[in-house]
Amino acid sequence: MTSDTHLHINNVSKRFDTVDALRDIDLKIERGSFVCLLGPSGCGKTTLLRIIAGFEAASKGSLILDGNDISNQPPHKRGFGMVFQSLALFPHMSVARNIGYGLKLRGIKGAAQRDRVEELLEVIQLPHIADRPVSALSGGQRQRVAIARALAIQPPLFLLDEPLSALDAQLRDNMQIELRQLQQKFGVTTVLVTHDQHEAMMLADELVVLKDGAIRQSAPPTQIYNDPADSFVADFLGAANLIDVGAIKGGAVDLFGTPVQSATPHQDGDNILAAVRAEHVGLTPVLSNGKTCVGEISFMRDLGAATEFVVAIQGKDLRVRRSSAEAQGLDIGSKVALTFDPAQVSLFKAV
Amino acid sequence: MSLQLTKPKALAYSLPALIAILPFLGACLYIFRFSISGEQSRIDGFSIQPYVDLMTPFFGRSVWLTLRLAFIATVLAMLMAVPLAFLLISLRSAFARRTLTIVILLPLILNLLVQAYGWILLLGPSGVLNSTLRSFGIIERPIFLLFNETGVLLGLVQTSLPLAVFPIVSAVRGISREHLEAASSLGASHWRIFFDVTVPLLRPGLFGAASIVFAFNASAFAIPLLLGGRRVQMMGIAIRDMISPLFNWSGAAAAGMILIFVTMFVMLFAAWLTRLASEKVERQNAR
Repeated sequence: MTSDTHLHINNVSKRFDTVDALRDIDLKIERGSFVCLLGPSGCGKTTLLRIIAGFEAASKGSLILDGNDISNQPPHKRGFGMVFQSLALFPHMSVARNIGYGLKLRGIKGAAQRDRVEELLEVIQLPHIADRPVSALSGGQRQRVAIARALAIQPPLFLLDEPLSALDAQLRDNMQIELRQLQQKFGVTTVLVTHDQHEAMMLADELVVLKDGAIRQSAPPTQIYNDPADSFVADFLGAANLIDVGAIKGGAVDLFGTPVQSATPHQDGDNILAAVRAEHVGLTPVLSNGKTCVGEISFMRDLGAATEFVVAIQGKDLRVRRSSAEAQGLDIGSKVALTFDPAQVSLFKAV
Repeated sequence: MSLQLTKPKALAYSLPALIAILPFLGACLYIFRFSISGEQSRIDGFSIQPYVDLMTPFFGRSVWLTLRLAFIATVLAMLMAVPLAFLLISLRSAFARRTLTIVILLPLILNLLVQAYGWILLLGPSGVLNSTLRSFGIIERPIFLLFNETGVLLGLVQTSLPLAVFPIVSAVRGISREHLEAASSLGASHWRIFFDVTVPLLRPGLFGAASIVFAFNASAFAIPLLLGGRRVQMMGIAIRDMISPLFNWSGAAAAGMILIFVTMFVMLFAAWLTRLASEKVERQNAR
């Protein structure tokens, strides 16, 4: 596959007074790809998006769009469509005028503008709301109008700043699917900021995990999920157990009785954290208390398709998720042995 | 439990304010009654003579002068207040913001007399400006900036400015940064954003501020008296002259009623005009 870089974020740093908001961010965004910037609040993800949009200037580094340095271009010259956290629909304009505003500024008026607005309203499946005031729309409708307004100008880049955070869970799920379908339909290169790992996994071709203003890992979602680069990424992507397994000996650690060989070189004596997802921990009932590696179920909850357990073992609590069929006969207080597939355990040097 | 006041409760708590307003309404009624009195110095019988007597070129000029000066002063005060409001909001340092707020508020705190004498000391015939210009030989006779319409306008703009600034400040605060950024991302330059987004969103606040300033200026009394002298007969002055040297109480009452109604009419007319203008913009944009 040949790489076709659309936007190159070239070593960008941002300093606010005495705080480093971003440090040496270097990122190449493929044409037509959907990139999610994911991280906890304060990680710099929104600042990075605002630098791409042109609302903030980088303290260092540059932005290269299709080979041209756009670092000094004001936002209105960049013409990137953006969806804001508050959506920022213009309250004094109707739906049609909101969507048509960017077109008007580009000299597209009259019938041409009306046709394009109608086309977009068709795309967002709200064909009959053109003349409504924005205040008369529901949350999901506003969402779609904000997306249509940003896409109306056929932007080279489509930027979204936590656009779905105000919606309730059900609507958010539907909007994620719709957003992804729209992005593919338009084929527009997209950058979305979110703190929701599930949303990021749903949407992204490329997931960029940020912490404290630096990129911790940038890769396709499944790769990040299965092979997190460090314990922060493993933890932030959720549902992972982080277990302090002590010093490494001969390139292997002992995980509750299962030897796990390290894939990356670690020095003997390094303290190691093992990350393993709840669904990758095996559970077998034991009757006697003879073995040392036996845990006790301290919590269980049937979630329908799966059952979630908390197993207390050697003073630690592990989360385990198994199919509900496997939960038969188990109860709080049951003794269980834990099994691990070494291939699904990631080892990191503890810091 | 609702945290909002229920209507009966709100009404109960508003009672003191309503009672405080009552004497004012009483006074208005009393003045109205006096304005249709058959006698000039007391309320006796009914007559429209007080109003008929006012239909003179002299009083007509006074009404026209009042509306004209109040209107010009309002426009000037608004033109100055808008940038000032933006400046106030853009200030990051709390000290600078507080200092500017106090400077803007000062005219509301200081007695009008003190402010008027300040202008006289500065711009009067033997004031700082004239004596400086004379000492440099730039002028021979003093420039008369006071005791004419210019003086009254200066005074009105200066005293009404704080009334314009603070409603505009709260209106500007109500505009979210994301609205402006959204317009920018769609391709609007700074000026386009100002006219397409900022001004429409500010419009209610601007109109509110202008109404307050206009009403304040139209009913001004101390400033025209002290800075206009007898030559600038705004209605406040005209009404006082009817009371004090002439003892024409019913005429003064009729003139007061006319002042109230003319001011209200202008404000309603302006409100209607603003709505018409914004609807016209809507229609043009829709096309």
